[in-house]
Amino acid sequence: MYEMLLYWDGINMSERIIHRGKAINVTIDGKSCSGVYGQTILEIARENEIYIPTMCHLTKVSPIASCRMCVVDVEGVDGEILSCQEKAVDGAVINTNNDELFKNRQNIVKLYDVNHPLQCGVCDKSGECDLQNKTLEFKLDTQEFAVKDMPRKQKKWGVLSYDPSLCIMCEKCVHTCNEIIGTAALYIKPGGYKSTIDIKMSKCEQCGDCISVCPVGALVSTDYKYTANAWESKQIPSSCAHCSSGCSLIYEVKNIRDGEFKQTEKIMRVKNEFEFASLCGAGRFGFNFENTNTFKDEEAFNKAVTAFKNANTIKFNSYITNEEAKILQNLKEKTGLSLFNEDAYNYQQFMNGYSSIIGKKHYTTNSKGISSSDAIIMLGTRISRDNPGVKYNVNIATKKQRAEFIYMHPIDDEALKNKYTQFVKYEAGSEEAVLSLLVSYLVKDITDSSITTFINDLDIGYLSGESSVGEEELEDIVQKLIRKQNKTLIVGTDLFGHKKSTNLGKLVGVIDRYTDFNVVVVPSQTNTLGVSLICDLDKNIGDKTVGYNEIADFVLSNNGKGDLDMPALNQQEGTFVSLDKCIINSNVALDFNGYCLNDIANAVLDENNELTINYTSMLPTQSGFKVINFDDLENGFTNMGVDKRGYALDDIDTQIDLTIGDIDDLTTYNGSVIYRCEPLHQFNKSTAISPWLKADTHLRGSASFAQAAKINAGDKVKVICDGLSIERVFKIDKTIKGTIALYPTFDNGLSADLVSLGYRFKQVKIEKVEA
Amino acid sequence: MSKIYFSVWQDEVVDNRNKDCDDWAESSHKLPVSYDSNNETKAFVGWDGFALFNKDVDVVQLAVNYARQYQEYSEACGRCAPGRWGGRILYDVLDKIGRGEGELSDLDHLKDIASTMTVTSKCEIGKTVPVPLLQMIEYFEDDFVTCINKKQKSKWYGIDDSKYIANVTAPCTDMCPSHVDIPAYIEGVRDLNYEDSLSSTRQTMPLAHTCGRVCPHPCEDACRRTNLDEPISIMELKRIGADWETDHAQDWFHPTKPKNPRNDGKKVAIIGAGPAGLTAAYYLGLEGIDVTIFEELPVLGGEVAVGVPEYRMPIDKYNKDIQLVTDLETVTVITNHRVNANRLKEIDEEFDATLLGFGARLSKKVRASNENPKMGGYWGAIEMLDKVNLWHKYDIGSPASNELKDKVVVCVGGGFTSMDVVRCSIREGAKKVYMLYRRDEKTIIRNTTYEEYTEAVEEGVEFIFYSAIEEIYDDGNNITKLKVNKFELVPDPNGGRAQLVKIEGGDIEIECDYLIPAVSQSLDLQILPEEWNMEMTSWASIMTNGRDYMTSRAGLFAAGDCEYGPMTIVNAVGQAKRAASVISRYIYTNEISLTDDEIMEDHFNKLKVYNKNEKITGWMPGLPREHSEKLETNVRKYNNKEVNLGFTASEAQSEAERCMRCYYIGMVSI
Repeated sequence: MYEMLLYWDGINMSERIIHRGKAINVTIDGKSCSGVYGQTILEIARENEIYIPTMCHLTKVSPIASCRMCVVDVEGVDGEILSCQEKAVDGAVINTNNDELFKNRQNIVKLYDVNHPLQCGVCDKSGECDLQNKTLEFKLDTQEFAVKDMPRKQKKWGVLSYDPSLCIMCEKCVHTCNEIIGTAALYIKPGGYKSTIDIKMSKCEQCGDCISVCPVGALVSTDYKYTANAWESKQIPSSCAHCSSGCSLIYEVKNIRDGEFKQTEKIMRVKNEFEFASLCGAGRFGFNFENTNTFKDEEAFNKAVTAFKNANTIKFNSYITNEEAKILQNLKEKTGLSLFNEDAYNYQQFMNGYSSIIGKKHYTTNSKGISSSDAIIMLGTRISRDNPGVKYNVNIATKKQRAEFIYMHPIDDEALKNKYTQFVKYEAGSEEAVLSLLVSYLVKDITDSSITTFINDLDIGYLSGESSVGEEELEDIVQKLIRKQNKTLIVGTDLFGHKKSTNLGKLVGVIDRYTDFNVVVVPSQTNTLGVSLICDLDKNIGDKTVGYNEIADFVLSNNGKGDLDMPALNQQEGTFVSLDKCIINSNVALDFNGYCLNDIANAVLDENNELTINYTSMLPTQSGFKVINFDDLENGFTNMGVDKRGYALDDIDTQIDLTIGDIDDLTTYNGSVIYRCEPLHQFNKSTAISPWLKADTHLRGSASFAQAAKINAGDKVKVICDGLSIERVFKIDKTIKGTIALYPTFDNGLSADLVSLGYRFKQVKIEKVEA
Repeated sequence: MSKIYFSVWQDEVVDNRNKDCDDWAESSHKLPVSYDSNNETKAFVGWDGFALFNKDVDVVQLAVNYARQYQEYSEACGRCAPGRWGGRILYDVLDKIGRGEGELSDLDHLKDIASTMTVTSKCEIGKTVPVPLLQMIEYFEDDFVTCINKKQKSKWYGIDDSKYIANVTAPCTDMCPSHVDIPAYIEGVRDLNYEDSLSSTRQTMPLAHTCGRVCPHPCEDACRRTNLDEPISIMELKRIGADWETDHAQDWFHPTKPKNPRNDGKKVAIIGAGPAGLTAAYYLGLEGIDVTIFEELPVLGGEVAVGVPEYRMPIDKYNKDIQLVTDLETVTVITNHRVNANRLKEIDEEFDATLLGFGARLSKKVRASNENPKMGGYWGAIEMLDKVNLWHKYDIGSPASNELKDKVVVCVGGGFTSMDVVRCSIREGAKKVYMLYRRDEKTIIRNTTYEEYTEAVEEGVEFIFYSAIEEIYDDGNNITKLKVNKFELVPDPNGGRAQLVKIEGGDIEIECDYLIPAVSQSLDLQILPEEWNMEMTSWASIMTNGRDYMTSRAGLFAAGDCEYGPMTIVNAVGQAKRAASVISRYIYTNEISLTDDEIMEDHFNKLKVYNKNEKITGWMPGLPREHSEKLETNVRKYNNKEVNLGFTASEAQSEAERCMRCYYIGMVSI
């Protein structure tokens, strides 16, 4: 009977044939090109510098396929093949141009030109318009037919203005809004010839990335509109000065004459390499923060030199270049001055702990690592405000990799709600417990006894109870990580100001070292990472202080309000260290004719460094810097989208010390608690004075916060903490749950603030100011 | 066979222009000669040609209107340059000719743009719209040229009282019993816009989790990509949007915003909370109509809940589909409520319309001698699966392993239910599991899916093909042994259907503890009051006309297995969606009506949208279909973990990019 039965061995559905990534070879226009399966024909062509015309292709998003101009001919295949979307198949012989292809592409441009308003003379895009370029390329000097058009209304959507008559419906803006920015505010309203772009205003973050990707003049900047022609401005490639993402940008500077025919240079707008990179609203619209007091005040300078000689401490923050940091470090080394920068000091403390576990100076991944993750755990940051660039990369991961994203924080964040797959709320102040719990759930099968002892000694029930992170929630996290290949742990500013920051660093280091997670420690200010690698910082502050953009006995400041004027970050050459652990260049958008920090150093130390960028090649190699002159640093992007700015830091080995400190009992935060958090598009003093950016200085909290503090919306309140007090107007924010309010500090200028540094959560007293 | 004056469809041209009416040749295609019971069709225009059913049709006017319908048809188009502007130009140029203002050069422009549209458009709709237009100009050139040369309006221009009705379809959409807008939800995945993807699915299919997992996907048999290489993995792309919504728990992504409750006293009853009942409730609920579902079991979901095992259809996912429906404001659910004939009479009295969706839940016998359902070891498939699922999914009852552990189980079947029986038996610890099937391996794969069959084999189920039980042996209390006949397929020497012939002396005996018949299911007819004299089908299911789903009793509708007999989830969904639409009007008018979209849907279905002989151009052949990862046999065999892990992000996107967006637009004039 058995021979009648059917036997199956050796079939296993789990054994799938994986084609992706296999090496392939194709011939394009007679040139043999190699690639891997999964790449599109267009990608391989571009890698090999073969031109295929496109109107809707945008490298940073998935193929859009609306313009149809990139059609090519593949031998043996009938019809024309869409090269932006179709994958190249091994052995394919491809021709990118012939009469038939030319005719079809030409017809497509003809179609785009039908009824496209001939208003190039007053169009913002004129001179850099893809449709102008293609009309020329396809030799269309006449238009043989037209169609009856329909009325289409122009729209103003805050920072962006939309003209549907100019819109070619390429959909680049919609894809960018969804895939990169993650708000999905823009959408397509289909309808044949009526089809148009529309917006859900409540979702729009006003970043303006849609403006930059628009190939025509359909989406333009409301404020920039009709202020300059593209060809009139000088383009200055630089890096954004507002946060540690250090996004590449281009300042456009125009020479303008005022009423008295005096010529001045003005930054008209910021653009970016939109094909590969993105920019948040602060970077795009917050560029007018230069110091306008731009002359040499010799008297003030001499006072400054004296102040430096008499002082025992220099107070500064991390919104400075590496070169400035290096000058300050030289001053310390040669005169014995203390360097006080609480932001970078806290970061150093955290990183010291982290490095002592992993044995490396730098954290282990970067923004590319984030965007290609399929699982992300984030804690200790309100990332949508702290670093929009990281948020974009997290969004890319959730869309392109459909990543599990576990967001852990005491305050839920509306801006992340369509991104995270699990929100875990923990108590303010319980970060050490939360990280210990993560260590105990994520770290498995290890032999290092100090770590196993630490884990075994943890009182999980206590930690879970005190931090409010349930054991089921942790089990859930573990479940979500099964089969994930690229895991990233992102931690941020909340941890650096924590009193146990070194130990927190160690716990993060344990996760990095003993699991397959890689880590990003998001630097809190633009150049926190650079300063922390360059300066030997002191914990305490002396009694005679000079402040560099900070309040002190004598203040050097770039906002025009100090004792001596200094250049702002858009007025000087120099470098930052970005979140990607890369040195990136910042260039002079507007001239500054006053004194710079090197002038002070020259006077104090009797040296002769003519330019601050003399210090670029002196940055410490023991921290990973290279001996490269500023002028030798590369800039821009390659054709394939590789950011060529500057260079990547070398990785540096550090001493390993696997001991971990005990976990403290938890301090509870009761009563009124505030969390230091800037509003949208605000980061610091520079963004605060940028006129195109909105400044929302309210204390924002939930209705229950108001109830507990006995205040109402619109009340002027006094926030009191550690003997200091500041007045704010209270506003109810329905997106915030719980009893912690968001407290902004960006607008404080040079005045002291009770919560500008240190641990971000503060227990405060709130008093209503009677009118 | 259609009576026509002139038609071009695919390769067939029927030209009766100079013939006497009685000599008219016929078309082999099922073209829509009459629109509905009240209206004859004057003409039909579609992706593969056009047809005139009436001598009097103004072809120029017909062309103008097809172009107009295309460029105004808002849902499918305007998303590529050739389609958006090209369509507008076709319309403008044709209209110019129609109103007597055209020039001969316009025809050249039209042909030029048409050719670019045909080659470069994003969807088939843009590629095929020029086809009938150019054919009209070719076959009725005089009509066009006369308008141009004489500067005169076409025959009916401006005085035309014809009604033009258009609708969009696609081969996959047409084949899907629920007519899901498949290209749209695949486009959502391709564009990483998962919200769009899901709301597209939910236009006609509320059970996106379910039909993204356990649908036999008839659509894939009509996928045009098959003509090029392999069909798109349509079903698996459906769950992407549903999983996204579940993982990013926000508001429901409805296809349209649910309307406010009507509160007008009209109410609809639904008997059974299975796929049919849930679907009807969803679409009525979206309209704000008051709906009450009566469910006999303590749990919602019908056979998908208590029949389909957890490892294929995780209950937490199905519960999301269910919750989508029950969260609607006007939907009320009453569980543990068995409806019998008396109760149905009450409901029928109380509600403005009632939809029967109680399924087919009685296991049929295998028809062997000594078959006694009361004998120990004889266990109907439905009862067995109820027990398994109620225990694992709801902690109700007791584990079936109490009965099946270390036992020998024989299942007779060949469909999905029997697959569930054998694979559950393995999971409950049976020592040996046999599946007896009358036909061969190829047929069982066709009746279920390749995956289902292969996975069962991997898990150790032994399939015995060409077999049937002749006799059941017992020891007085329990089944002990089966006598099984073996058959072979003998070809008919006259070229007819091959016959199954018993192999003499080929009988085998199988010792076993359990016999689980899963041959088919029938309806529990106790629910129907005898005095209603309901019309039934020859399969003993409830009779409707298959279009509006009203039974022989006015106001009483039926959908799903109780209407069709045991069939698929997607079939139940499709029927119930249509029934809900009919009911939404019936409760106000007491009349049965279909919308134009529904009528067109039925015409397309008759005409057949998919053409397996069509040659595909403009797409790169040889891009292999993606296969999602499945749990390995040893990891899944003894538990209820979901076997199919679904596509990874890059697999999903890559698979979505293979979709050719085969939208077509068809139009009739009446």
